Amino acid sequence: MTSTGDTRKETTVSTAAVGTADDSTFRALRTQLHEAATAFADGPGALEGLLLGLVDDVDRAVREPLEIFPVCHHSPASALAMARRLREKQPKVVYLELCEDMAPLLTELRNCRLPVAVQAFASKIDGFPADWAPLSVVAPITEASAEYQAIAYALDTPGVELVLVDRSSDHVYQWDERPTRAADPDAPETAEEEEAALHGDAVGVEIGDLRPRFAELEEHLLRHGKVRHWSEWWHQYVELPLSDGDYNTYRQVMLLIGSLFRRLAPGDTHRLKVDEDRERHMWTRMREHLTATGADPDDCLYVCGAFHAASRVEEFGVHGSDTFEISPRTATVWQHGLIPSSHTAIEAQFGLAGGSVSIAASLFAKNVRRTKVKPYRLAGQAGKTSTAKKRAAAPVPAGPADKLTGFLRRPPVLDRLDEEELLGWSVDIVRAARRNGYLASTADAIAVFETSILLAGMRDRAKPTPYDFQDAAVTCIEKDAVPGRRDVRRLVEIMMGGDRIGQVGYDALPPLARDVHDRLTPLNLPLQQRGVKRALLDIAGRPELGACSDVLWMLRHLLPHGAARPIMGERTLGERPIQESWDLALGTHQRALIELGYEGVSVEQVLEQRLRKAAYGAKATAADVLKAVEDATLYLNSRRLADELGAHALHVLAAERSVDGAPEVLRRVRRLLAYYRTSEPVLPGWIESFAKEGYAHYCTLLPMAFTDDDATVRQVAATLGFLFGMESLALSLGCDRTQLELAVAQSHPSDPARQALLWAARTHLGTLSRTELRERCDELLGNPLVLTAYPRYLSGFLHALEPVPGLTDFVVEAVSNAFGRLPDPVLLPWLPTLISTLRADGSELAPLLIREAGRVFPARLPALDGWIPPWREQPLPPAARPAASGPRGVALLAAHPATCDAAAALLGCDGGWTATDPGPRGAALLTRYPDTATAATALLTRI
Amino acid sequence: MSDLLRAPAEIKYAEELDWLESVDDNPKPFSWRLSPKMVRLFVLGSERSDGLDREIAPKWFGDRSFVERSIVTLASDRGLLLIGDPGTGKSWLAELLAAAISRNSTQVVQGTAGTTEDHIKYSWNVSMVIAKGQSRESMIPSPIMTAMETGTIGRFEELTRSTSDVQDALISILSEKYISVPELDSDGGENIVFAKPGFSIIATANSRDRGVNDLSSALKRRFNFVRIPVVTNKKSEAEIVRFRTEELLRRHQIELDVPPTLLDVLLQSFADLRASAESAASDDEKLESALSTAEQIGVLEDAILHSNFFGARELTARTLASSLVGSLARRSPEDLAILNKYLHGVVEPRSKDKGGVWPEFLDGGRDAIATLS
Repeated sequence: MTSTGDTRKETTVSTAAVGTADDSTFRALRTQLHEAATAFADGPGALEGLLLGLVDDVDRAVREPLEIFPVCHHSPASALAMARRLREKQPKVVYLELCEDMAPLLTELRNCRLPVAVQAFASKIDGFPADWAPLSVVAPITEASAEYQAIAYALDTPGVELVLVDRSSDHVYQWDERPTRAADPDAPETAEEEEAALHGDAVGVEIGDLRPRFAELEEHLLRHGKVRHWSEWWHQYVELPLSDGDYNTYRQVMLLIGSLFRRLAPGDTHRLKVDEDRERHMWTRMREHLTATGADPDDCLYVCGAFHAASRVEEFGVHGSDTFEISPRTATVWQHGLIPSSHTAIEAQFGLAGGSVSIAASLFAKNVRRTKVKPYRLAGQAGKTSTAKKRAAAPVPAGPADKLTGFLRRPPVLDRLDEEELLGWSVDIVRAARRNGYLASTADAIAVFETSILLAGMRDRAKPTPYDFQDAAVTCIEKDAVPGRRDVRRLVEIMMGGDRIGQVGYDALPPLARDVHDRLTPLNLPLQQRGVKRALLDIAGRPELGACSDVLWMLRHLLPHGAARPIMGERTLGERPIQESWDLALGTHQRALIELGYEGVSVEQVLEQRLRKAAYGAKATAADVLKAVEDATLYLNSRRLADELGAHALHVLAAERSVDGAPEVLRRVRRLLAYYRTSEPVLPGWIESFAKEGYAHYCTLLPMAFTDDDATVRQVAATLGFLFGMESLALSLGCDRTQLELAVAQSHPSDPARQALLWAARTHLGTLSRTELRERCDELLGNPLVLTAYPRYLSGFLHALEPVPGLTDFVVEAVSNAFGRLPDPVLLPWLPTLISTLRADGSELAPLLIREAGRVFPARLPALDGWIPPWREQPLPPAARPAASGPRGVALLAAHPATCDAAAALLGCDGGWTATDPGPRGAALLTRYPDTATAATALLTRI
Repeated sequence: MSDLLRAPAEIKYAEELDWLESVDDNPKPFSWRLSPKMVRLFVLGSERSDGLDREIAPKWFGDRSFVERSIVTLASDRGLLLIGDPGTGKSWLAELLAAAISRNSTQVVQGTAGTTEDHIKYSWNVSMVIAKGQSRESMIPSPIMTAMETGTIGRFEELTRSTSDVQDALISILSEKYISVPELDSDGGENIVFAKPGFSIIATANSRDRGVNDLSSALKRRFNFVRIPVVTNKKSEAEIVRFRTEELLRRHQIELDVPPTLLDVLLQSFADLRASAESAASDDEKLESALSTAEQIGVLEDAILHSNFFGARELTARTLASSLVGSLARRSPEDLAILNKYLHGVVEPRSKDKGGVWPEFLDGGRDAIATLS
């Protein structure tokens, strides 16, 4: 790459800061580098190409008529230089490396407490693989950043235009081969680090990503810098030297670093391609804007990462080629909003060292105090009020053009030891450690102070950096175990500015979130604040709180666990709450609430959409749809939606080919039926149809379910439960019982448990008497060959309690027989199965059994001796029964005819009373129809 | 070549230490022989950017900040306690630091259940006491007391193995920096031994012994704790094993090549076994060995010695496998079963896939297990 100086000579460079624009600007530096390359690499070659290429890049960027301001993310030096430069230059247009579709939201930043993140969110996607949904892009913005300075300046200065030029959120995904939406593997996962997860699984975009992409280079820099991680290196070797530097030095150094990292970025060609496309996009957009508005490049400022400032694409510069075609966006609909962010979340998302963003923020504040630079701040910004007043644009002295040579030859900057500050830190950390359970004392404060200075000395620093101080604190205070939740390292991070968590102000919230807060106003709680707030709702005393309760139940359904948690009170079908208490953490879960706002304008709307989505999902079962029906009734009180979803449930059920969901369907239908029967004058049409169709559906499936190995006994029992439970309703709606009888008759299970279930069903239907059932059980117990299978029959009987609760006494009898007659080797291994069956599946049935057993068995021990089980009692001989003497009750009816007459009159029967024939019963019939008897006589006489 | 079986660091690296001392123009605390920066350089080795005329080899491998924190602690008022799992190089670091700072790493008290206060302070030469009475002459100073008198570094190995009351004898030594000898007359100050500037203590403690003899709070606050983690970085571990093996070969005057492929096999085996130990649900399912770097060195040492004296003076995968099994199988049948599972479940598929020395390694392992079973 050769210098572009010659080709740009015709351009008039009037930007004060740029300096002279001839080729001699960096001549001295080039000569030195040439000599260095010759000395170190045994002759000019690759190394020289690299070193001179760096200078070329810087030269090219510096000569660009549109002033390029290279930045690095979370760099206080960048922020400070930006504030200075903006005050000096007062540009009329600011181009910013940020997704162009995020522009409308930036004015809302003034309503927030930073850090917050601008979010683009898409749940309904079109043009991307369906499994990518939802798409989310976040761009976190902190106060101590260059981009915030630019935004604040542009928005609060009349006549200044802010233009975002980076590719849109849609292109972020379009250009991404593998969306890295998975959580960062290094991200903390513990509950206490929930701040780190504030961005969810969004893709992060950041202005000024500047870090070596060449792992060996980073390792080399860290080793020689005697630092542990990249943030520390940056702080030590770039931040400190640049914080007091003039603008030209700042700019050239940043360009040089950007160029270095760019040239030493091997490997990931896709990433580089995306970066280059972004640069093409940005320059194309800038040129379009300049052409459209006729703005003078001299009055503009282009803020971008130092990496992009050292770009070598053809499209670079206001005179670059217009060969890049920006691809159209997909049809995906993007929603935009602001979500709270935090320093920890930013560090986790972008792989920065823990505490580095906080340290950058405190360094920025300190530098602002020290240098007296007035940073920009959006009017009305939450937090500290700014006293910054705009100064008149001062003429900028044109500094010497080549600032790099001097900078590169200078030894590392030694910051003065700030003893007061270090003492303050030492005392503070000991206090913080004591609060967190450490046995730290003043002696430790002294030791930390001393160790910090010694450590800094060992690392060639006059002043301990926050990282040295952290090491010293760990050395002196941390012992063999951490007594509390936080260790000393974390305490230092907190102390150095702590994790600042942003908050989106009320005015910047989406309509849904504002609506939620408005509707919860009667609770009188500061719900925008972070932390858990306890709400007590005396709904009986203050009926207006009922509406709050409705909102809270919907939020509980929609938001992640912990955002709204009921402590007391529940919502079930047909019940109205009297008192409730809630733990609310809406401030902590602000992001979730805001993201809810992308789905609709009210919680009701979002809930309805979610319920519909759940019910109409490809994998939704009838049970799922019924759950949606129940939720629609419970939370939305929407009969319309319930009816619609109920009708859909019918279709889903008809399409099911197994009885897997039968237990759940039965449970929900029973609950819904009970609710509708008590609260509605007539049953909704869909549930009647459901009962009717369900009856036919399960009748069809029953024979197969009995023999299907995949269906469990519980599922078959639930199928029978549905059939028997819904029978009366289904029959009243026109179903035929024969269908059920046939289905049972077609069932031929081989498994003992199902066999028992079938017997129970037949008993219920009347095709098997109790005596026969008892005999079959006795046979099983008496047959040594099938004795071992008896417990499995019992399991079947236990499950049969669900469809045939009338068999409870028989099940008690069967279980008692098992205990009495089964040999121990059979009985004992079965007992755990019995207990687990009763606990897992029969939690509702066990009380039935216990009550029945309580009725059958003697209550007191002495009575047990003389007790005979009712099933062993000899049935009374028929003779002992009072003989039936004539038609019972008929005499009574004849004696008191008034009731019968009244009923007949009501029914419209006109017939009167007839006298009883005293003759033998049946004789009259014979007299009236003699043909049969005559035929029989004829037959007999013929024989 | 020294005629000592194992020369302490100050003898082994005497020439290097002399040279460093001669070029060291940085400020030195107290009576230190080297400045803190040079101590760090001695321990961690030199870089080109240090601008030295000769290269100083690294002797301890680990995070730079551990060494820096340790050195700084010794320059402060507090003692240094190196804590970590067995085989993480705590004692080696302590020895290197003592050698670099005071050219004497042998002032060591070994903590055991039988360590008494006399071992920490002083005892008496009974015959001399009978002959001449109690005097400074008839007193036998402990290594710690000697370190105090000479202003050098004293070492206390396995501090937590000694009982709590014995440990507490260190409290007054670390805070008041003197030991009083009540048996002697107070005339002329003979009954008090004061520490000279430069005195400090490096103690080591095994984190697996936690809860056996816990340090009292008073003693804890007189020590700065530096926790040395187990080396899990494969690159660093390879460096350590190579370094120690070379040292071993030199010591035994053995001329034997350790092929890099075999070193990889060893590192890979330990990495596999560690992963298996981490996923084990109970103690029975993992090897009794801690699988530390020191044990890897032990396995390699065993294999080298065996090859040298009983083999064909060539290290083979078979020998390595048999010494791996021999070193790690401590319990029968539990450890043997785990190793058998490892060989057949991990090594066998790998030897089919990759070939190389793995098949030979597998055969050697099988034979060793068969012999032990």
